[in-house]
Amino acid sequence: VASTIAFILLLCLNISFLNGQSPPGKPEILKCRSPDKETFTCWWKPGTDGGLPTNYSLTYVREGDENTYECPDYKTSGPNSCFFSKKYTSIWKIYIITVNATNQMGTTASEPLYVDVTYIVEPEPPRNLSLEVKWPKDRKPYLLIRWSPPNITDLRSGWFTMEYEIRLKSEETDEWEIHFAGQQTQFKIFSLYPGQKYFVQTRCKPDHGYWSRWGQESAIDIPNDFTMKDTTVWIF
Amino acid sequence: CPSGDCKMSLQDMFDRLVMLSHYIHSLSSEIFIEFDQRYAQGRGFIAKAINGCHTSSLPTPEDKEQAQQIPPEVLLKLVISLLHAWNDPLYQLVTEVGGIHEAPDGMVSRAKEIEAQIKQLLEGIQKIIGQVHPGANENEIYSVWAQLPSLQAADEESRLFAFYNLLHCLRRDSHKVDNYLKILKCRIVYQNNC
Repeated sequence: VASTIAFILLLCLNISFLNGQSPPGKPEILKCRSPDKETFTCWWKPGTDGGLPTNYSLTYVREGDENTYECPDYKTSGPNSCFFSKKYTSIWKIYIITVNATNQMGTTASEPLYVDVTYIVEPEPPRNLSLEVKWPKDRKPYLLIRWSPPNITDLRSGWFTMEYEIRLKSEETDEWEIHFAGQQTQFKIFSLYPGQKYFVQTRCKPDHGYWSRWGQESAIDIPNDFTMKDTTVWIF
Repeated sequence: CPSGDCKMSLQDMFDRLVMLSHYIHSLSSEIFIEFDQRYAQGRGFIAKAINGCHTSSLPTPEDKEQAQQIPPEVLLKLVISLLHAWNDPLYQLVTEVGGIHEAPDGMVSRAKEIEAQIKQLLEGIQKIIGQVHPGANENEIYSVWAQLPSLQAADEESRLFAFYNLLHCLRRDSHKVDNYLKILKCRIVYQNNC
């Protein structure tokens, strides 16, 4: 009996393969990320399509609620993604997320992903990076680097606490020099080679979360007379 | 302070509290991650840990809007309730963690450190309540922890899960406390303009 069943199964498989049609391959949830602790997005990678038009749906169960819900918004974050707006986001609950791929031949579900929004926080990079050489009277000149926090994060209420890092390199070297700026949104650099062009970038990290990407690069030419002349005092 | 009656400014007090709560959460996070990597791989504990926190009965705010709408003194009290709810489990955690097979020293010392720092934090919050709302009556909500038997379970799997669950909840609650205190600081000291 077993061999007959196996034979029939193989026959069925063969028929579908002859048509080049099969249920969709297993989709894979790539990542979920929250830029602001108030919303989040999950992205997935489709599996093979089985030679047929395939529809994807994302379903989730949230801790403290028995029901299964479907993704509230497939559009905002682009193709193969699901966006959870404030209304659907709670940061101290586990979400069990599954992506289902469906075609005429059947449905294939991804491995479920367990997401706790608290631990997927990765902000956008800082904005408005500005560079300026300052010449204080009777003091060493310095490069003043200033930036603003990313737009979407709410620092005023204390919901988010942000720390920053800056990196710079001259056109003569390949190595970045990194400085931690704490919660400040400006940084002074005193030791730079005069007459060289420097590139600067910033990134930010919430109090408990991941570093953002490095932000947009800015460049500045350091003037030739950047270092203050050594003043030697002769005492007779 | 030599005379012993000098008052710290509210700002200094909050700065200290927030540093403490930040530190406590970092420790809780480290201890959870260490445990997870060492004992929980491939066991599917996270699925079982859903709805498993003994503090889930406390009516804590679930997002920013909720946290901002609660009167500060009520939120402070909730933080106290949340921290008190950990007295017992933390004590047991420190006692029992040594019994886990090959428990790393770091885990025991971190658990002890968290226990000690939470006491400090509680003391600080009581002081702030005393300053912000002197004479506020004590009506704390208690939540009961009844999972001690599972920490002492005979079979390894159940025992490991009990620890996993406890550490997962500790990490979550310490994050809540840290987040609430940071919001309260910006609200009380900086009038929502941090």
